[in-house]
Amino acid sequence: MEEEKLIELAQGGDRKALGELVKRYEQTVYNFSFKICRNKEKAENTMQETFLSMVKSLSQFSGQSKLSTWLYRVVSNHCLMLARSQSKYDYASFEDDNVSIDEKEIADWKVSPDIITENNELKDALDSAIKKLPAEYRVVFLLRDVEELSTEETAKIVDLSVAATKSRLHRARSFLRNELNKVFVHE
Amino acid sequence: MSETKPTCKEVMLHICDNLGEELNSAKCISIRAHMENCNSCNRYFNSVETTIEFYKKYNVELPEKAHNRLIDMLGLKD
Repeated sequence: MEEEKLIELAQGGDRKALGELVKRYEQTVYNFSFKICRNKEKAENTMQETFLSMVKSLSQFSGQSKLSTWLYRVVSNHCLMLARSQSKYDYASFEDDNVSIDEKEIADWKVSPDIITENNELKDALDSAIKKLPAEYRVVFLLRDVEELSTEETAKIVDLSVAATKSRLHRARSFLRNELNKVFVHE
Repeated sequence: MSETKPTCKEVMLHICDNLGEELNSAKCISIRAHMENCNSCNRYFNSVETTIEFYKKYNVELPEKAHNRLIDMLGLKD
């Protein structure tokens, strides 16, 4: 059944249609929540909060944006709120432009992204690098580069201008690249 | 950008878009000329692309127990 029809039925109180919507998006929401939180327990909690919010607010959903975009917004806001309440975490500071490029450090990585599936050491390195990124940068990187939303959609979700979104994206990419460079070049 | 091998035009569009530049702007044309001959830039660009691919491919499956807990919590059990 088409998503619009499912939403219409769910808005009219059809529990089966609501269940179908949850099933369609639970994997995406859980995976995205994990990518922000880097913790399975927090990801499940965020997923539950997101669908609770969807159930409560579905009657107000106008269909002007995609349901997936709306869900990304709820997950992002929830994670940003969590991150602010845990502000003691030692995030990297971008005040001093520490994402600049050292030309001597531009080595050929000679790795294929496919090695990630069975490499727990690499997964730890990826977790460690992205956890250092302030949540505001992490969310932009994940929405734009990993989930492949447009820059405009990403900007709307995080309530930033397109220019500010691009700036955060650039800094997040450079920071992560530099962190992983330490793993691949200096190991 | 296509997932396998991006074309040069796609790469330039990607870079220029992130700089807020049109493909035919003077800045974008000069970047293209530089990229054609600069190994460092190409290595750097490839490493950024690889970084993104790593995070794209690092996915987790929703555990069945977590699915069941969600359905229970929402009162959607058949």
